Amino acid sequence: MTSVKNLRYILRECLVITCLASFFLCITLSPCFSYDLKDKVKEFTLKNGLKVLIVERHASPTVSLYISHETGAVNEGDGHTGTAHILEHMMFKGTKTIGTKNFKEEERILQKIHDVGDALDTELMKGESVDGQKIKDLRKQLETLQREAGRWSIPGEIDRLYTEKGGGDLNAFTGQDLTSYHVSLPSNRIELWARIESDRMLNPVFREFYSERNVVMQERKQTVESNPGRKLMEQFLAAAFMVHPYRRPVLGWAPDMRFLNIDYTKKFFRTYYAPNNTTIAVVGDVSPNRTMKIIKHYFGRIPSQEIPARRVTKEPIQSGERRVKLVSDASPRLIIGYHKPTLPSFDDYVFDVIDTILSEGRTSRLFKALVEKGIAVGVNTANGFPGARYPNLFVIFAQPVSPHTCGELEEIIYKQLDLLKTQPVKPEELEKAKNQLKADILRGISTNSGLAGMLSYYEAVAGDWQYITKFPDLLERVTPGDIMVAAEQYLEPRNRTVAELVRKQ
Amino acid sequence: MKRYIVYAAVFIVLLSSCAWHGVPVTDPDDIVYAPLRFEPPKAQRAKLENGIIVYMLEDHEIPLVNISAVIRMGSFYDPPGKEGLAEITGTVVRTGGTKSMTGNQIDEDLDFIAGKIAVSVGTDSCTLSMSVLEKDIDKGLQIFSEILTSPAFSEEKMETAKILEIEALKRISDNPQKIAFREFRRLMYHGDPRGKLSSVESIQKIERDDLLGFYKRFFRPGNVMIALSGDIEEKDAIIKLKNSLGEWNIPGGPEKPPPPPVRVGASLNYIYKDTPQSVIIIGQSAPGKKSPDYYAFEILDFITGSGGFRSRIFAEVRNRLGLAYSAGSFYSPRTEYGIFGAYAMAKGSSTVDALSTITKILDNMRDRGVESGGELAWAKESTINNFIFSFATPQRIVMGQLMLEYNGLPDDFLTNYKDNIEKVGLDDLKYVAPRYLSEESRVVLVLGNKEKFSKPLSSFGDFYMEKNGTENREN
Repeated sequence: MTSVKNLRYILRECLVITCLASFFLCITLSPCFSYDLKDKVKEFTLKNGLKVLIVERHASPTVSLYISHETGAVNEGDGHTGTAHILEHMMFKGTKTIGTKNFKEEERILQKIHDVGDALDTELMKGESVDGQKIKDLRKQLETLQREAGRWSIPGEIDRLYTEKGGGDLNAFTGQDLTSYHVSLPSNRIELWARIESDRMLNPVFREFYSERNVVMQERKQTVESNPGRKLMEQFLAAAFMVHPYRRPVLGWAPDMRFLNIDYTKKFFRTYYAPNNTTIAVVGDVSPNRTMKIIKHYFGRIPSQEIPARRVTKEPIQSGERRVKLVSDASPRLIIGYHKPTLPSFDDYVFDVIDTILSEGRTSRLFKALVEKGIAVGVNTANGFPGARYPNLFVIFAQPVSPHTCGELEEIIYKQLDLLKTQPVKPEELEKAKNQLKADILRGISTNSGLAGMLSYYEAVAGDWQYITKFPDLLERVTPGDIMVAAEQYLEPRNRTVAELVRKQ
Repeated sequence: MKRYIVYAAVFIVLLSSCAWHGVPVTDPDDIVYAPLRFEPPKAQRAKLENGIIVYMLEDHEIPLVNISAVIRMGSFYDPPGKEGLAEITGTVVRTGGTKSMTGNQIDEDLDFIAGKIAVSVGTDSCTLSMSVLEKDIDKGLQIFSEILTSPAFSEEKMETAKILEIEALKRISDNPQKIAFREFRRLMYHGDPRGKLSSVESIQKIERDDLLGFYKRFFRPGNVMIALSGDIEEKDAIIKLKNSLGEWNIPGGPEKPPPPPVRVGASLNYIYKDTPQSVIIIGQSAPGKKSPDYYAFEILDFITGSGGFRSRIFAEVRNRLGLAYSAGSFYSPRTEYGIFGAYAMAKGSSTVDALSTITKILDNMRDRGVESGGELAWAKESTINNFIFSFATPQRIVMGQLMLEYNGLPDDFLTNYKDNIEKVGLDDLKYVAPRYLSEESRVVLVLGNKEKFSKPLSSFGDFYMEKNGTENREN
């Protein structure tokens, strides 16, 4: 489980987040403690397999709604990276009954756009032997058709409907393992949400596909290519994983993104956005019975589907350190990662504790050794990158204060990691870490959206939201000995990937 | 009664049969909603004997207590040549220990109880905030009040704070958006302390005596307000606050910074940065919350670019033209003044297209206002319906009320907000738009590599080079 602070770390990396998407998203929060969540969650499953979790909270007449589909970038085939993410963008383009003046007329043109767009892509893929005149003609045709389609469509309808009725935090996230759609509404408007969301799970219309492809290319330019930290992260993951899909960026590789394909995206949607692959979480000023009546009415009509078995290549055991250097006109930064098992392995809980001991708060070991000494401007660790459905990484991020170098940082960090192997953590330090983990959870679930996000996340990724309620007991079981064993086994040079940003001379 | 039950049952059966047989669903615009009745809980206001004003609201859902002290100080007061002093003072108040504890002891105690204390320093306010488990409130308050009333400003911690701040300043050059928004601030508040920016040199000049002097000038009961919410009874909270802060007695009322001078003149500014994506920001001075134009301007901003997919800049620049991922507008109103900005991040070759598209949208708004009653109704309905989220958490309610008093706004400002938005008409927009969107007072800033621009920026005017690599043209 990754903790709340990791999410904050990721978000801090982006200054303006207008809408939609992230490189790898961990909407993860830690579990609850003295707050009795177990009795507050009402759990339902529709006949089509859709899972629904509801928590009543009446402090204000608002409700937070999460829909999480158990899919993400890991399900993309080679050459199709970025599909899960552009699909998320397409889901905001409306449905057969939302966002159109006349769907029959519009559909005819959309089909033509699709054909011309395909032909254009096929031609462009020829690379150097491309027929320039043909490209020009096809582009012109496409533009004309897009203008024509524009006569029938009403852009931004989903957004309009939500904002007009007071919706806030309208957003969606695509991660490696999970895709989530979130909105907060005044609590009397749940039916609007059910109407829109069930319709887009049933009848989405992929309008403006080709111009949206340009938008996601811009998104990549803004959030990766103009951002040294994210650029380095991309290189780091591609080195840390050789064959597992976690090596690929959620946004996609730029050459794949140019040719994101509408048919492939539709197929991806049909396969993975099935109700039996989806969890809904509702937290706020609601009556569970009335809410379920609405949810059954709208979502019950969506047929369940067979979800193909996941065929994901297992990452071979790493047998030697890997190093990546990225030369860029930016200040140096460092990322170090180690392979480790994921939840529900006991080792994952041990790493939650290690994560906290190393970087949570001003008295954490790495903060004291690096930031307090004025050697690093920031240091952070994260357990569970870049996803949690498959074995993942424990990662350390640090940025040196000039004239200190990444090399110096590495040396200090490795010394600290060695201490974990050779000296048992003192009982007070272990207790402190456990206290911090428990309090983090309380802070995470104190808002409606925090709790809704966490419930749908663990239901979808761990297979059971009760992972949260069981967490405190498992956390208590972690001993100083467990930490030494896990550190010895995983935090070793052979299992390490190091990425370093070096300033252009 | 019996009959009622039967009807209810029939109703349920009908509903579920619709559900399973795919009967067409209603038009989303025709859904009928139950009315939403809500009287937002009011925070209690109290004044301690020493003058500290406290706003409190109980909330027993989660065993946590949040306390924030808002102090009237900030970068506005940075002395010339020592820009960054407010920031460093804020940091070292938190890290530099107190009369009875070293900074490290405080950190140990706080981390052990998983408490968090953080400081954030703004232009004219500084917030010291704490989040602590309900069971640890006494310990937390003891640390919190010592930090507030008797910080020790250890020399060593100050040096660390300076080193980290300098490095953070150097790293701004890695982030094109940060560079641009900092420069935008400087341009919009040209000639006012709000437009001064800290630099490596100004941070280096700061000494411990500066911190002591700065602290002494601003930290006193009459200059502090406290917001408290969470799992604690109001009467207990007041007793605890009296016990921990009651002894703090320093005379003096609140600081009140004057508003910035009225900005005149247009400028076109260019910052060279070899980045794959240009940052474009267009700024205008805007009304403050006390201005009669405030409500109309909120609506104007919503329609122009902050109202999501439907707002004009987003719909045109992102949706229709696909020129940018981020594009829109923002409006930050203060009590007496405000700033409006429109922005886009576009790839180098589309820079000038994006800039002229946004300029056209602003000009159109200036010349014609809003002509469609539908667009106005959409903006008003959205703003009014979303207003409920200002009261979504006790923390927001308490802070919202505190800030009204802090900013000298009337008590009923929030209560009347919806009615005031409701009153905005097409005429108001027609009146407000040309007043604030005039080309003669427009600040345009472009950051990027002009070699990659498909058209020269000079189609917008000429530039001259400033010493920091910024090119400007002033009218």
